[in-house]
Amino acid sequence: MQVPHKEHLYKLLVIGDLGVGKTSIIKRYVHQNFSSHYRATIGVDFALKVLHWDPETVVRLQLWDIAGQERFGNMTRVYYREAMGAFIVFDVTRPATFEAVAKWKNDLDSKLTLPNGKPVSVVLLANKCDQGKEVLLNNGLKMDQFCKEHGFVGWFETSAKENINIDEASRCLVKHILANECDLIESIEPDIVKPHLTSSKVAPCWWVMQQS
Amino acid sequence: MEYEDKTGRPSKPPSPKQNVRKNLDFEPLSTTALILEDRPANLPAKPAEEAQKHRQQYEEMVVQAKKRELKEAQRRKKQLEERCRVEESIGNAVLTWNNEILPNWETMWCSRKVRDLWWQGIPPSVRGKVWSLAIGNELNITHELFDICLARAKERWRSLSTGGSEVESEDAGFSAADREASLELIKLDISRTFPNLCIFQQGGPYHDMLHSILGAYTCYRPDVGYVQGMSFIAAVLILNLDTADAFIAFSNLLNKPCQMAFFRVDHGLMLTYFAAFEVFFEENLPKLFAHFKKNNLTPDIYLIDWIFTLYSKSLPLDLACRIWDVFCRDGEEFLFRTALGILKLFEDILTKMDFIHMAQFLTRLPEDLPAEELFASIATIQMQSRNKKWAQVLTALQKDSREMEKGSPSLRH
Repeated sequence: MQVPHKEHLYKLLVIGDLGVGKTSIIKRYVHQNFSSHYRATIGVDFALKVLHWDPETVVRLQLWDIAGQERFGNMTRVYYREAMGAFIVFDVTRPATFEAVAKWKNDLDSKLTLPNGKPVSVVLLANKCDQGKEVLLNNGLKMDQFCKEHGFVGWFETSAKENINIDEASRCLVKHILANECDLIESIEPDIVKPHLTSSKVAPCWWVMQQS
Repeated sequence: MEYEDKTGRPSKPPSPKQNVRKNLDFEPLSTTALILEDRPANLPAKPAEEAQKHRQQYEEMVVQAKKRELKEAQRRKKQLEERCRVEESIGNAVLTWNNEILPNWETMWCSRKVRDLWWQGIPPSVRGKVWSLAIGNELNITHELFDICLARAKERWRSLSTGGSEVESEDAGFSAADREASLELIKLDISRTFPNLCIFQQGGPYHDMLHSILGAYTCYRPDVGYVQGMSFIAAVLILNLDTADAFIAFSNLLNKPCQMAFFRVDHGLMLTYFAAFEVFFEENLPKLFAHFKKNNLTPDIYLIDWIFTLYSKSLPLDLACRIWDVFCRDGEEFLFRTALGILKLFEDILTKMDFIHMAQFLTRLPEDLPAEELFASIATIQMQSRNKKWAQVLTALQKDSREMEKGSPSLRH
């Protein structure tokens, strides 16, 4: 059975304060393991995850694990370029890392937009939920509200250690990215059939969007 | 050799037992399990021709197996000899360093002989001393100053843990929150410094030393504070020096121009360093350079980790120490030369990879990277570009970027 395959390659950022578990989440997601012995990330680390999204679609995720210290900000912001989505991670046992979430989100939105000017999809991860202070768990509603206010497409309590919700969070993010892409394509399709726009057929879809 | 005599006459059927007695070292284990037998009596006997063929095949197999065994045994023997040789030469080197070089440091350290010995790797027992001497103490830090900084750091930790924020008015400009964050980061990072050695973590034998040095440094240089990567550098120093001496070496090391540029995260200057690196990259490895360019793999992606931790995170620790040895001898230039040595060593693999695989490879180098091969590779890297040395290239680029800042771009050609 020969099924035509669609392949997508997405660059995803994993950001958040230092020590919240960004590397652990990626290791769990990509290598299916956990160690409490990860070394601090200096600069940026990389991982690649291949998802067989549905029988026709393969999604390749390029994960950029970016060092959390604020000082590196100027240096690591260049890594935001061309990302299609992001996870912002905080540590439920350290409230200060949650306070920083809005700062990370604003910073991301100010430096990175999709080709059509919209912000990229971002999922919020409340990590180390296995060590859970129940504070968050009881505040689901408030979290939903927070996500709405700050433009997150969703939030998950995760644990890299216990392998909780990481696949789910990723599916959520990829789903939104794919939907975004469909939006882009759908919204330009009517234009493409118009004769006066045929000259722009070779231009990337976002360019067409901007013209219309 | 005895063995070669035998294989030269394959007509003589080799007897494994005889072999065992004669040559215990090279006992071909696998052949002892290989026994040529005639067919059982209840079956018709093999035709003579076939029997002859089988015998021949059997003999060939035995010869091959023995060859393999012998090769393996020779390899082991060579390894053992090599180890003995290395141990002996380390023993000799320790004597030379202790009796000849260290007592006459000022006059001898830049001599050809010492430089050569230095390249071979400094024996661990004198390593700390040599590093200290080579790094120097331009800042004139005394043990007393370390004690003062440490006492201050401890005071801060106490006041933080008791929740008191009323202290400190002396260091204006650095808010209590900043310092607090800095100290919190140190705590978090210490547990993530060489975690597999299990000596720097809470409760480990070197935990307090590492904590002390990093804490004291933030009091000594509040303008720099704690920056990730420092914990690795301090840890390597602690493994080779006493606490106070490690602090002195640490502070002086971070005060070198390249380290200051990076740890202050002076983005412009860092970019200048990367640009200088690329000049030598293109000069030494033009094909790989083009491949990196094509894939948009910029040097910051791998150099940041390598330079911030002085390779202590990305290379095996003993190999990293050998890089530090020559870094202490040659200065910052050697850090970039090492980077090129690594790239050259893996050039063939890298040219077959795409962006993400290269980036992954370079941020997580093979754990069994062989020291001698790496040093041989580094040795072939020329730090000379159109008759300009590293320092000259760097200075020229710095001048360029300063002029860029001054003059508007339209005034430039």
